[in-house]
Amino acid sequence: MHKKTDANRNRSRTFIVAKFEFLRQIKKPAFWAATLLIPIFLVGMFLIGFFSERGDLSGDVTPDTDTSIAITDEAGILPADAQFVIDGDREQGIEMVKNHEIDLYFYIPADFASTNRIESYHIVEGLDIFNTDKNIIKGILTQYAIQKIDPVDVTILTGSFEVADNQLTANGELSNALGEAIIPLIFLVTFFVLICLFGNRFLLSVVEEKENRISEMVLTSVSAKHLIVGKIIAMLSLGLVQILTLVLPIVIILFIYRDNEIVTSIFSMIEIDPASIILSFVFFIFSVLIFAGLCMFIGAITPTARDASQYVAPVIIGIFCPLYFVQSFLAAEPSFLTEFFTFFPLSAPFSLMLRSALGTLSLPEAIIGLVELGTLAISSIWLTVRTFERNAINFEIVKPKFLWKKIF
Amino acid sequence: MENVVTVQNFRMDFGPKTVIKDLSFDVKKGEIFGLLGSNGSGKTTTIRALLGFYTPTSGKLLIDGKPYNPEGSNITVGYLPEERGLYRKETVLDNLIYFGELKCLPNPREWALKYLQRVKLLDKANEKLERLSGGQQQKVQLGITIMNHPKLLILDEPTKGFDPMNRQLLMGIIDELHREGTAVILITHYMDEVEKLCDRAILLKDGVAHAYGTISEIRKQFNGKSLEQIFVKVYGEDDYA
Repeated sequence: MHKKTDANRNRSRTFIVAKFEFLRQIKKPAFWAATLLIPIFLVGMFLIGFFSERGDLSGDVTPDTDTSIAITDEAGILPADAQFVIDGDREQGIEMVKNHEIDLYFYIPADFASTNRIESYHIVEGLDIFNTDKNIIKGILTQYAIQKIDPVDVTILTGSFEVADNQLTANGELSNALGEAIIPLIFLVTFFVLICLFGNRFLLSVVEEKENRISEMVLTSVSAKHLIVGKIIAMLSLGLVQILTLVLPIVIILFIYRDNEIVTSIFSMIEIDPASIILSFVFFIFSVLIFAGLCMFIGAITPTARDASQYVAPVIIGIFCPLYFVQSFLAAEPSFLTEFFTFFPLSAPFSLMLRSALGTLSLPEAIIGLVELGTLAISSIWLTVRTFERNAINFEIVKPKFLWKKIF
Repeated sequence: MENVVTVQNFRMDFGPKTVIKDLSFDVKKGEIFGLLGSNGSGKTTTIRALLGFYTPTSGKLLIDGKPYNPEGSNITVGYLPEERGLYRKETVLDNLIYFGELKCLPNPREWALKYLQRVKLLDKANEKLERLSGGQQQKVQLGITIMNHPKLLILDEPTKGFDPMNRQLLMGIIDELHREGTAVILITHYMDEVEKLCDRAILLKDGVAHAYGTISEIRKQFNGKSLEQIFVKVYGEDDYA
């Protein structure tokens, strides 16, 4: 009964730390600035892409009806009765622009076929760096050019046809490797985003206690274990908030365009393989814990945030170094390099998640990987707790020899 | 009388340097105990080893009969360290509530507001700690130290940086807790405080006890001299010559 009360009290201490750390971060404007920056950037990029696509005149886009246009076609590309074509010569056309009779004038010279050159004239006020004249005449000429060609040839030339890609496995069965990889790859991307957003935060969450000389006050109130675990829970919860904030606009966009051809084709392609998803999820959880443990360990051995930050970069590079050799991961047969990255402690999280997504991980490799990542996750957190406990009131960088003695 | 703190044959080495040599003393329930010595004599090291921040090279350091564990101790401990700091970017109230929750207070907010009223900081409750003066921050830290009605209170140079008014307030709080049966370990350089408050004391120099016992026993040992004179005698001959 007494033991049960102690266990409850300790669980509650972990929760108290987690709640405190979570709330103090989430109340900071800097957290929301960092959180919203990426979705705003993504939405911005989407809108720019969307509108620039709409403005592209490579197809049947016609010029603005408010713009009055005239064309002199000495090359005879356009039919005589075509819209905008005038009888007048180049000088007359330029004169019309000068007299504000028209907004835009194009002159297609007789030698267009050899020079590929068209002249355009319009009056500008200030600097016109976003000139769309080329797109307008391109749109007009394309419309007439398409009418002269066989529709099949148009389809071929514009590439507006589909290729139904039927990939077969070695056994001759229909393969959907990409569809199977999508969900596991989401875990890999989430891991990448978490590391980019949270490396420093994990670090600072431990360094702060030392830098502000809070360690002694805190560690006489709560054990290092509950403090560190509480902080990890808080940081992961904050990560979840950031990921959701990031994912929400994507979900909304996908929902709005749920009938879009590309969106429906992506959804129809996704294949749910529960075993692969569970494996990737467990790899993801272990990987996040390893990363959290390592960052916090760095925080525990260094006295200030400035000292600590110089050690984080090598860890991040170590975790993502397989990315530079991603080509070798795409091969069906694993090379020595991929095997090395798969089991080297620092590169194992990324490599195992990637290979699990690509379906190139054999069952024994998956089991060894799980055991390795699980052991590394527990060890890194244990090491952080132990180091923080023993080194919490050391306010200078400890030599590795002394640190080893302190911890063990 | 029952021991709250037991230190037996404590030795502490930092690499090749021995900081504490075979130190033994105890602190009894309800007494005020002075831990005295100049800077670097080993006072803070002893307290840090007692609270588990340092692993002793040899010897035993026990609180209520066992090594200290903040979550498994039978008695409540309050510690005001020499190196002081709190969450500077958080409000005074948030700091107090957080530690109150960690120390399992039934109603941390209520306690925090009462305490702030007592130390005349109620108007600063929602201010960030970093905006308070050094003395005001120390009052907040003192509140955190005593909030769980500790049975053992360890104060490492508690009056450092306090003006006379705040010193008076602190002495009042120590006296109040003492009357409630709290054992107090007081680390201070002010010998008048020790003579006025402490029942017993130990005087350390280079990690070795040079005097230990009740204040009157120590004075008797040194021919009735005051503690300040004893301090000067122990240290003065070689260190302050």
